[in-house]
Amino acid sequence: MALSGMRGLSVFISDVRNCQNKEQERLRVDKELANIRTRFKNERGLTPYEKKKYVWKMLYIYMLGYDVDFGHMETVALISAPKYAEKQVGYIVTSCLLNENHDFLRLVINTVRNDIIGRNETFQCLALTMVGNVGGKEFSESLAPDVQKLLISSTCRPLVRKKAALCLLRLYRKNPDVVNVDGWSERMVQLLDEKDIGVLTAVMSLLVSLVANNPEGYWNCVPKCVRTLERLTRSQDIPQEYTYYGIPSPWLQVKTMRVLQYFPAIEDPTIRRSLFEVLHRILMGTDVVKNVNKNNASHAVLFEALALVMHLDAEKEMMSQCVALLGRFIAVREPNIRYLGLENMTRMLLVTDVQDSIKRHQAQIISSLKDPDISIRRRSLDLLYGMCDVSNAKDIVEELLQYLTTADFGIREELALKAAILAEKFAPDLSWYVDVILQLIEKAGDFVSDDIWYRVVQFVTNNEDLQAYSAAKAREYLDKPAVHETMVKVAGYLLGEYSHLLARRSGCSPKEIFIIVHDKFPTVTTSTKALLLSAYVKLLMHSQPPEPELQELVLGVFKKYESYVDAEVQQRAVEYFALSRKGASMMDILAEMPKFPERQSALLKKAEDTEGDSAELSATKLRLQQQVSTALVVSDAKPNGASAVPLTRLSSAPRNIDQMGLPEVAPQPPPYANGAVPRAAPATGAAPPAPPAAPAPAPAPSPADLLGDLMAPLAIEAPPGVGPAAAPVASTPASAILALEAPPSAGLAPAPPAAGDSLALALMDGPPQVQPIGSIADWFRSLSIKESGVLYEDPLIQIGIKTDWRGPHGRMFLFFGNKNAAPLTSVKAVVAAPSNLRVQLTTVPEIIPPRAQVQSPLDVVCIHASREVPVLDFSYTSVNVPVSLKLRLPVVMNKFLQATPVSAPDFVAKWRALAGPPTKLQEVVRGVKPLPLPEMADLFTSLHVGVAPGLDPNPNNIVAAATFYSETGGATLCLIRVETDPADRTQVRITVATPDPTTSFEFKEFIKEQLIEIPYAAAPPPPPPAPSPASMGLTGPAAVLAGLI
Amino acid sequence: MINAVLVMNTQGKPRLTKFYEPVAVEKQQDIIRSVYSVLSSRGENFCSFVEADDIFGPDTKLVYRHFATLYFVFVINKAESELGILDLIQVFVETLDKNFKNVCELDIVYNFNKLPGCWRIYVFGGYVWVMAQ
Repeated sequence: MALSGMRGLSVFISDVRNCQNKEQERLRVDKELANIRTRFKNERGLTPYEKKKYVWKMLYIYMLGYDVDFGHMETVALISAPKYAEKQVGYIVTSCLLNENHDFLRLVINTVRNDIIGRNETFQCLALTMVGNVGGKEFSESLAPDVQKLLISSTCRPLVRKKAALCLLRLYRKNPDVVNVDGWSERMVQLLDEKDIGVLTAVMSLLVSLVANNPEGYWNCVPKCVRTLERLTRSQDIPQEYTYYGIPSPWLQVKTMRVLQYFPAIEDPTIRRSLFEVLHRILMGTDVVKNVNKNNASHAVLFEALALVMHLDAEKEMMSQCVALLGRFIAVREPNIRYLGLENMTRMLLVTDVQDSIKRHQAQIISSLKDPDISIRRRSLDLLYGMCDVSNAKDIVEELLQYLTTADFGIREELALKAAILAEKFAPDLSWYVDVILQLIEKAGDFVSDDIWYRVVQFVTNNEDLQAYSAAKAREYLDKPAVHETMVKVAGYLLGEYSHLLARRSGCSPKEIFIIVHDKFPTVTTSTKALLLSAYVKLLMHSQPPEPELQELVLGVFKKYESYVDAEVQQRAVEYFALSRKGASMMDILAEMPKFPERQSALLKKAEDTEGDSAELSATKLRLQQQVSTALVVSDAKPNGASAVPLTRLSSAPRNIDQMGLPEVAPQPPPYANGAVPRAAPATGAAPPAPPAAPAPAPAPSPADLLGDLMAPLAIEAPPGVGPAAAPVASTPASAILALEAPPSAGLAPAPPAAGDSLALALMDGPPQVQPIGSIADWFRSLSIKESGVLYEDPLIQIGIKTDWRGPHGRMFLFFGNKNAAPLTSVKAVVAAPSNLRVQLTTVPEIIPPRAQVQSPLDVVCIHASREVPVLDFSYTSVNVPVSLKLRLPVVMNKFLQATPVSAPDFVAKWRALAGPPTKLQEVVRGVKPLPLPEMADLFTSLHVGVAPGLDPNPNNIVAAATFYSETGGATLCLIRVETDPADRTQVRITVATPDPTTSFEFKEFIKEQLIEIPYAAAPPPPPPAPSPASMGLTGPAAVLAGLI
Repeated sequence: MINAVLVMNTQGKPRLTKFYEPVAVEKQQDIIRSVYSVLSSRGENFCSFVEADDIFGPDTKLVYRHFATLYFVFVINKAESELGILDLIQVFVETLDKNFKNVCELDIVYNFNKLPGCWRIYVFGGYVWVMAQ
């Protein structure tokens, strides 16, 4: 066994290894750290050998997971040593121990530069490697030209040039300005002619990054990339050391195909032809062989080729070939290939026209769902989820249900959710949907969230044909020996509402139903108990003529729970007991639940939320989005018109009621008659008047109310003062909701304008009924501190943003995703920039095809400090409905800020140098959001203002610094101090100092905006005395401030 | 790119760790622990890829291979080819084998100061660099 070559180090490692437990190890490490610390203190006596040894020990300790917070200086100092042995240790340990933000790195920039421009190749390599690993922004500013020179030099050895290429890549990632597209793209073309495969691979990595940021600028590299691929696949001129298991540099092949995927479609027919020739050769020429490593390499190339084919949108024939290949892969034994096959097939779903060929492999995919490896199961679940549609939903969902019983816990929740979503989206008929969900609850009750069963209840309530069926089903499930609590809830609810429809069947008399339900009562939680009490009172009400025995039983239960420990249960028991003695009026109050207004499935919403970043849409997410719009109205996609009826009706019926029934509610005075109508003619469907009130016992709905979600719409719809015991439903909120739900175009008596809700009306005003499905202000606010997310979303379109900021420059990608099945036409996007910014938007295509996403980059340059933001004027037409939007783009001031660490003496000196106005401004701000100090510090950090803890002696103060970048001012250091009053958190004194008066003012105002509590709700800000905020082009917070100033 | 390279033994002790993005020391240890707990629960015939969204954030994957008492783990994002990384691990292990004549875990422990050097032959600042044998 070879040893490290350092006795002291080996002894230390042995010691650590021999430690019996973590505690001993910690003691040994602490002892060593103490030793190193004292040795470093008396540095004079250290030999170079000792220095190396201690530095290695430090690295070993660091890798064991201990924090090493000293000795960095000594490590960095080794870099400056003249001898290779010390320099090497210095470079290696520095790049492992320190990260790019470390201050000490700055100290060695010069030494590193000397090594890079020096003549010693070994030193050049060491220096390049370190910079490539930990070089930060400052390195890129001072070293990039030298590194570029090395890369294009004709005298350097390939070894150095390889390193230079990757080093430049690092510097470019830290600061894209170091590479100027105009001059450099020609250089890249020349570099691609490189014969040395090693250099070429490194150059290709560089090119991937360059092209990813700016495909337009590097168009001229495409022919060379294709040529390189040809050379590789034909094995022309590839030295032996670059073939791996007989394959000519698979990594370079993969990289080159990656580069090509960053270019939008390649149009040139000649290039396209030769590229497809190469791809064809790869697709056809790869076989599965025995040797694992060879297999890996050849398939790495193959999968990349598949991805490129998908990207290039090849002819249908080639696509089918790809699917056929993938079909082979998902059937092989080798798990890695199977995994990647499934993953790529999921990606393939995005390509149009191949869904049918993918469906042919359904059986194989389902069998992967039973693979022992969870990674593979996840992939196949994703794929099944993505490929599901009306034609195969039944098979797939049933398969998922079956798998649910054996699935391990890690995947069950996801599985249950996905099964529920698919069942809802693609149900061929609704009774099947109810079956699926009930099975789901039976098999995985713990993983069925409330949303899922709420949804069933909504469906059943809104579909009369379904009510008897589902009540009967629920009754069956209650007979089983072990019943999950969620099942008790659904069954309790459904039987309470609809069991009277079953009364003629055997075993379904109200009394029998009561007994079977009540059997579960003792074992369920209090919230379910409360729900069951409601079910009992409904049962009682439905038994006409009253059954004395049942009455006795139910009243007995109510009596018993009158003094129950839980307030909700107690209250229900008391009130229901009183109600049940009211005779006829009880019937009105307890009548059937009205239909639910149609709304987006909470499930689908949840699924969307959990899918994460909007800018990087996964295949499944895209599919999901495509399908959301058809979720409930699948009728057009269905071959069989008859079975579509319930679904269509489901989506339209509730709305009819909203439109026709509700506005008429108010003028109907006699509450009794009102309630009696649905009892008399429950199923006529002829414009049923307002539904009667629900049994809403608690005046203020308890948060524990399990039916909260179900009751909520009801409480709103209930006409005021229906029954004596009905909750006093506030009429104002109800009318506010009405205003939203009854479109003026319905031609009916419009709902009275709800006082104080001008927004709701304003939105409804005018023909477009497209409303955002969220708060624009919230999106804006979250984008102010995030780099990507949703800017705007309505049922037709989603606009996402992804941004990247460097100094005064910013690049923002706007993603316009058409969620609809129809194309969006006359798309126009114009950005109005305020004077402080220069903004350039590339053109947005006039038409966004159905379910497609287009992106357009937007370049922003900050000219000087200001709080104004650009406004995106966006309009489109969907199915002849024109929509236009004005959206503020989140180019807020903090995007041009960068947290700057400042040392105490530095800060004090600069602080003092700026004496007073106009460069140093102070203001006492009142009405501040009361935040604890750490949270306030977090707020600053999120704004890119670096808090310097401990700099101010008073612990109630926060001192922070940031650099503001603008074109006119360059880098401006902004210092800020916030003094808080522990007795009164709502006021602070802020002092801001920067060398530039405008920046000082704007920065102060900006910070003030962030600290002041501003209601972001859409309610207009309190009217300021002087100029109207709108006229100043400011909204929201800025408007409030404009009023204050 | 490659976010991190971890070599750990089958008891979960780290033998070589390199994060290509700055990560605090405590967080590194958390990551190593969670990676270990994921890997140790996987069987021999499972595939070499594990989604690591909850460890490293969205769209990251662990690509690993298991040799004797060591796990070689790469954390990569979408821009890398999974199979390419497996090749890379293979090449790295072959190199170690050549250098140490039948490499075993102890070689790596006692020669940890030679590892970063060996290692950096292949990965450079988060990018696969040289793939020559």
